[in-house]
Amino acid sequence: MSQNQVFEKVVAILKPYVKDADALASVSLESNILDDLKVNSARLVDVVLAFEDVFGIEVADDDADKVATVGDAVRLIQGKLA
Amino acid sequence: MKVATAGLETTTGPASADAAAVSARGWSRASLERQRLVDRLASFVWLPLVTLLMRVGLRWRIRDAARCRRAYAKLLADPRPLLVVANHLTMVDSAVIGWGLGSGLDHLLRHRGLPWNVPLKRRVDSSRLWQALAYAMKCIPVPRGGDRQEVAHVLERLGYLLRRGDAVLLFPEGGRSRSGRIDCEAAIADGVGRLIRDVEGCRVLCVYARGDAQHTWSNFPARGQTFTIALRLVEPRTALRGPRASRDLATQVVRHLADMEREYFERRPS
Repeated sequence: MSQNQVFEKVVAILKPYVKDADALASVSLESNILDDLKVNSARLVDVVLAFEDVFGIEVADDDADKVATVGDAVRLIQGKLA
Repeated sequence: MKVATAGLETTTGPASADAAAVSARGWSRASLERQRLVDRLASFVWLPLVTLLMRVGLRWRIRDAARCRRAYAKLLADPRPLLVVANHLTMVDSAVIGWGLGSGLDHLLRHRGLPWNVPLKRRVDSSRLWQALAYAMKCIPVPRGGDRQEVAHVLERLGYLLRRGDAVLLFPEGGRSRSGRIDCEAAIADGVGRLIRDVEGCRVLCVYARGDAQHTWSNFPARGQTFTIALRLVEPRTALRGPRASRDLATQVVRHLADMEREYFERRPS
């Protein structure tokens, strides 16, 4: 799966949790999930669980803890899929 | 006290995860032990003052406090880790719950039973006074809504304290219940589940605390308030792994609290 495909799926997963719709319109790999997209930190687990379901991967806590930006999530998923 | 066990089978986590990695994680056992010592000494000053303030100044009362404290003392006699989780309605819930679980004298004599608290780091960092008070009053500030790695380091510290026999208090709802009731569908702080999963043999004491006149969330309970404190010991289990296990365990705990809330309102004094 290409980086772009993973990116689009990640954004689709994040969409229901994003409080700042304007930020979502200009989302990039550098967008910080908590600070820029204003996702509730308690909802990050839901996001990680959705990554597992959608991409058929397993994410460990240590890996999940390192996800700060959309790019971090994309790289993590691509690493798991490789 | 009602005893319940939920779930399927025991999941044991990395019980000694704190052992080698601590110094690389930005904290050390030595620093926590130093804080424990300072807290113990400082408690001889602040515990009587806070107790006096609640009892005399604010005229708060705990309904059937002796029964509550006996039950808690019995739980502390068991050396296994004890995580206290509670509903969250006011900014001083931890003080009220601490008082409900033991008198000032109880906590002075058995300091490990006075639960560690996890206040919001942003609030603690707002002044040096708050920082000093938090340090001396068994607090480990957590950057709520912040860097997950920082939160993970806080959880490591709490895990260490639990394993060494100290009680820790967490609010799985993450913040005060804005509806005044526990919402099982709302965002749940998965840190509770992560601790239960990672601290082997961790027991969970669910505490439902509410003042008679506490209709919804607020900063402080009203003066002259009488609190009901209900206890339920649970040992949540899950067959799941990773973040899914944390979520499952935290959800089980919140459901217990919601059930305790239902029981409270069924029996609520009119």
